[in-house]
Amino acid sequence: MAIPQLSVFLENRPGHMKRILNALEAARINVLGYSASDTGDYGIARFILDKPEAALDVLRAEGCAVTLTEVLCVHLPNKPGELARVIGAIADASINVQYSYSLISNVIAIYAEDIPSTEAALRGQPIELVSLEAVASRFSSCD
Amino acid sequence: MTYLDANIETAPRAHIRGMQLEKLKKQVAWVYARVPWYQQRFREIGIRPEDIQSLEDARLLPFTDKQTLRDTYPFGLCAIPLDEVVRLHASSGTTGKPIVIGYSQRDLDTWSDCVARLVTMAGVTRADRVQMAFGYGMFTGGFGLHYGCEKLGCMMVPAGSGNTERHLMMIEDYKTTVLISTPSYAMHMCEVGEAQGFDWKSASLRVGLFGGEPCTLGMKREIEGRMHLVCTDNYGLTEVNGPGVAGECLSSCEYQHIAEDHFLWEVIDPATGVVLPEGCEGELVLTLLDKEAFPLLRYRTHDLTRVITEPCACGRTHARMAKVRARTDDMLIVRGTNIFPSQVEDALSGIERLTPHYRIVLDNESGMDRMTVMVELRPEAFSDSFEEMDRFRHHVVDRLKQALLMTPVVKLVEPGGIERTFGKSRRVEDNRRSPGGAL
Repeated sequence: MAIPQLSVFLENRPGHMKRILNALEAARINVLGYSASDTGDYGIARFILDKPEAALDVLRAEGCAVTLTEVLCVHLPNKPGELARVIGAIADASINVQYSYSLISNVIAIYAEDIPSTEAALRGQPIELVSLEAVASRFSSCD
Repeated sequence: MTYLDANIETAPRAHIRGMQLEKLKKQVAWVYARVPWYQQRFREIGIRPEDIQSLEDARLLPFTDKQTLRDTYPFGLCAIPLDEVVRLHASSGTTGKPIVIGYSQRDLDTWSDCVARLVTMAGVTRADRVQMAFGYGMFTGGFGLHYGCEKLGCMMVPAGSGNTERHLMMIEDYKTTVLISTPSYAMHMCEVGEAQGFDWKSASLRVGLFGGEPCTLGMKREIEGRMHLVCTDNYGLTEVNGPGVAGECLSSCEYQHIAEDHFLWEVIDPATGVVLPEGCEGELVLTLLDKEAFPLLRYRTHDLTRVITEPCACGRTHARMAKVRARTDDMLIVRGTNIFPSQVEDALSGIERLTPHYRIVLDNESGMDRMTVMVELRPEAFSDSFEEMDRFRHHVVDRLKQALLMTPVVKLVEPGGIERTFGKSRRVEDNRRSPGGAL
């Protein structure tokens, strides 16, 4: 159930992210979640999108350095300890989480060393993995 | 093998030397009789035109350089009445006032011959259709190559610089076969074409003639591969007519044949001015052997090269100069280390995940010189991992460190993020408050 995440190389300069978002908007691609982090010099923006393959083509045509990576999305019930439970399940399987961020509301994306093993580790628990369609429909825009 | 004039281009070297000596004597007498600046310099040095009895005696003659042309600006070096001057060209004037050069009708004819010879060396024939992507104007490249190709009998398409869409249209509609351009503009045209789905493979272009800025072997190979043409480079500078001094034949890709019937070459130690033995790298010095209007003796080009006279596989006997990769005034002194941009270029060209575009920025804000090299990622070089990107950046730093013997800062830039230059390349930005850069 791993879902594609789009990563884009970002230079630290004004307007770079805007250009990417404008291109996505022009192609009617909806951003369901994102994270942007940097090293001081350059950054990587990561997106969960309703049409990741189309977005890849759009941004490539814009000349962006861009790539698709698989991540897992997990739905967290809205109560204390849920995030700890998910991260704990991965830790118990001795897998290193490299980054994680939350999507809209209580859905988070996780990228770990080994996606299939991580997914297996989560499936063994009462943890709700969600599909791209489920995220998209749950938070679908009004268009 | 096709020559423009086999008698001259494949003449025995002794014959070439004899012709050079005869022309040199005449040229020295010409400048001495007509240009007060030379009369004064000859007197200061204590020589007379009759002292020149062998080609080695050229070493007795005074040097000229850009400063000579600035001191005599605009017409002080002109050896003919101004109403016999039929054309002026000027340098880009990036540092101070431009320098200006005049031509008589015979000078223009000689120049066109030199250019027709070099384009023939590159495989161009009268059946070719030549698309010009150099600007015209005061710059010698546009007009120089235009009239040389026209003299050969090519169909000239004087499109000029810029307007890439129109260039692509002309290639398609007029079925042009030769592109004259700077290498960086050719690369730009290639990228724009690819983005629009232009099919370079089946397009009519077959030859690229580059000039105006240095072209690395990596860049040349890349353009040849993507645009499906054979590229050659040529050498010239405004002060000695413009393009036409030397050109690459199809057999010797890193060397260019000098038109020795019109130019006498010497290679000197830039620090002492002493002439170096054949084959040694040093500063190229050129004497125009039959220029009427603005005759320059022993002009210091500031270009670093080496010249060899070994026979070439193409059959031409004229000496060959190695492609100019550096200028004496390109040298940067960073933290006491001498660095040429060409060294950075060479180090980067071996790294597959980078485009050939780069920029060097120098500053000393912290009190110490800092050199930042901005390098451009190829789209496929990007990975989602900071760790991987950092490893790659360290790899680039290591390669530069090995080549430069100092550690620069490396900044990764997205594809297309480094400005493409269409004229003289501006790859170095020196922001140091009191630069220790120029030699």
